[in-house]
Amino acid sequence: MVAVRQISEQRDFAVSSASLKDVRSFSREVFEKVNIDQDLKDELVLAIAEAAQNIVKHAYQGEDTEDKMEIKISLNNGELEIGFFDKGRPVDKENVRHRKIDDVKPGGLGTFFIQQIMDAVVFKEGEKPWINHLILTKKINY
Amino acid sequence: MSYKVTEEGDVSIVHLDGEIDMDVTEKAKEIIMPLIEAKKEVHLNLKEVQYMDSSGISVLIESHQKANELGKKVILKDISKSVLKVIMMAKLEQILNLG
Repeated sequence: MVAVRQISEQRDFAVSSASLKDVRSFSREVFEKVNIDQDLKDELVLAIAEAAQNIVKHAYQGEDTEDKMEIKISLNNGELEIGFFDKGRPVDKENVRHRKIDDVKPGGLGTFFIQQIMDAVVFKEGEKPWINHLILTKKINY
Repeated sequence: MSYKVTEEGDVSIVHLDGEIDMDVTEKAKEIIMPLIEAKKEVHLNLKEVQYMDSSGISVLIESHQKANELGKKVILKDISKSVLKVIMMAKLEQILNLG
């Protein structure tokens, strides 16, 4: 397979924990086309799955919904941008923080992982019909 | 995720297999917690776990803490490379029992 240098792929997913494996499959399929090492691919898949999990857990608080969330992965000139769009509760940006990492207790690690893996994490108000738009970016050398 | 539990004396060995994410954490807890509550030493064999996210890590922390409360141990065995990486990213390699 020839590695590509530009990517723009998006997919909708049901807002459900059962969708997380599909989110990972989609992400793996996309990164399979890019010439970066496997460790980095695995980290990016984890970051994407954690962000999708946060939508299920926090934007929808685990409630059943017919809504979809959309994930868009773009790579252009070495700048990877991953967009997450959902119609859940508006994210209170002030309250998005990971727990202190030396405070060992279950929960609160997903956001920490995302911040460890990505260069930047930006929450924006979504343009209609979306409520939330999360943007993760990372400079990629390939 | 699939699993198999074997017993060796007072030790229960839980072999987990597959991907451990938010969708299967309740199932994982249902398997592991009763063994800890029965005051067994629990070995979690993670050789065949290809993926674990923060929810899976939370199960490891909860199991570890529950066992500590009861004066028992949960020991992580044959940890796959991908799971070890996530444990280290969470800075838990000095806290969880890695055997």
